[in-house]
Amino acid sequence: MLRTEEIQINIGPQHPATHGVFRMLVNVDGEVVTKVENKVGYLHRGMEKLAESRTYPQFIPYTDRLDYLAAIVANVGYVQTVEKLMGVEVPERAEYLRVIFMELQRIASHMIATGCASSDLGGLTPFLYCMRDRERILDMFEMTIGSRLTVNLPRIGGVIEPPEEFWPALNQFLDDMPGIIDEYNGIITGNEIFQVRTKGIGKLSKEMAEQLSATGPVLRASGVKWDTRKNAPYGIYDRFDFDVPTGENGDCFDRYYVRILEMVESAKIIRQAVRDIPEGPTFAKVPKMIKPPAGEVYHRIEGVRGELGFYIVSDGTTKPYRLRMRGGSFINIQMLPLVVPGWKVGDLIAILASLDIVLPECDR
Amino acid sequence: MENSVLLKQVEDLAQKLEGEFEESLGTPVLKIKGTKVMEALLAAKNFSGSPCDFLHDLTAVDYPDRNEIEVVYHLTSLRGSQMLRIKATVGRDNPVIDSAVKVWAGANVMERECYDLMGVKFNGHPDLKRILLWDDFEGHPLRKDYVTESLEERKRLRVMQPDE
Repeated sequence: MLRTEEIQINIGPQHPATHGVFRMLVNVDGEVVTKVENKVGYLHRGMEKLAESRTYPQFIPYTDRLDYLAAIVANVGYVQTVEKLMGVEVPERAEYLRVIFMELQRIASHMIATGCASSDLGGLTPFLYCMRDRERILDMFEMTIGSRLTVNLPRIGGVIEPPEEFWPALNQFLDDMPGIIDEYNGIITGNEIFQVRTKGIGKLSKEMAEQLSATGPVLRASGVKWDTRKNAPYGIYDRFDFDVPTGENGDCFDRYYVRILEMVESAKIIRQAVRDIPEGPTFAKVPKMIKPPAGEVYHRIEGVRGELGFYIVSDGTTKPYRLRMRGGSFINIQMLPLVVPGWKVGDLIAILASLDIVLPECDR
Repeated sequence: MENSVLLKQVEDLAQKLEGEFEESLGTPVLKIKGTKVMEALLAAKNFSGSPCDFLHDLTAVDYPDRNEIEVVYHLTSLRGSQMLRIKATVGRDNPVIDSAVKVWAGANVMERECYDLMGVKFNGHPDLKRILLWDDFEGHPLRKDYVTESLEERKRLRVMQPDE
């Protein structure tokens, strides 16, 4: 028998499969991983410190850079936190528009996750299909505010009114959505190679997910029926009728498939919002100078990659005394050193892809 | 309402641990001394009726005027919408507090981040080292007395020096 020796190899930070600048120190015995050590922080920009020298509205563009694939979700989370602290009531129409934009953003982000799950396993073509469909959502954002990725869309007290051509584009997209999902199911979910590479790989049990404070699709794939939109509603999410998809095994395939099902649910929410949206103003009357009262507030929303929490300590001035952001990626990534040992290096890439981390949110 | 059940229990716990209880924008807040944090976390985890058994967030806030650092825990549950905020106060000169890793394994990275940026040491943490900043970084940037470099200094840093 050939003698094998355990060696330490370095994966990342500059590697397409690490979804940004994530670095892993991996001990391998032959092809089997024996130990993983996460190294994060390559993208640390000190956002929490920066917030202390910015006024409240000045900080909104920074939240775009938190999770660049789901900028609007972080934007809305932040402005809702400030609104909660100030006691601002947002007009009905603005609430509905925020829901529409947030769910569109969720679909766009899950499309990237779906595409990456395939491309990291060697299937590059489906990735381009996903990018093609995501392009339509980005076009809608461009119509509304002019930028596509870091949109900086809501403001404290409201949201911008989309132009008229937005609505036909949205309706057309919603009509095409079942076809898009069918296509993904045909080209990725039903692919035998994809199934063999993901089914039963990297199982995360229900208890472990809960112990590790995992949230979002990672938690739901392990079989926990928990969605902040449903179980602790914020904004107007309690008015919509949607399901919370869960997985059974907590393996890579479930983490992938939960996202596909979530896209369907998001489309369902948008349809209801388009149906019910009232006419009216989209901005509440807020003072020119945003000066929340002294106090503390914590607001959590269902981000795309797990629960997104904002904790603001205000001392009554125009700048936050302390602002803390809890990102899903930073905490979900903890499962790697516990789950990966025993699997092969190729499976490590599959597990990492199924986690769908975004490094700016992780490093802040 | 489960919220009233929770409020009552937090109030009792505050009395037991000689802490303070208040309500801030609908969230019960328990303020205790840093030495009693393990008792508080374990009690909150086992609240009957509405347990707060999910560690949602862990962070710290620096108060130089009072010479204190508050370690802030946000506890939620996957069985209800309750949320509890526990604030444990430690001295600013030598902030040491018990680690929650034994209760929630997920506290690991959050405590490391808190140590990295705020300088709070967690007793019993398996691997307490810097996580976001590099290992030989000096100081803890989220402290209020941390001095960020001036614009001139930053301009100098952007250019590679001959001895680098």
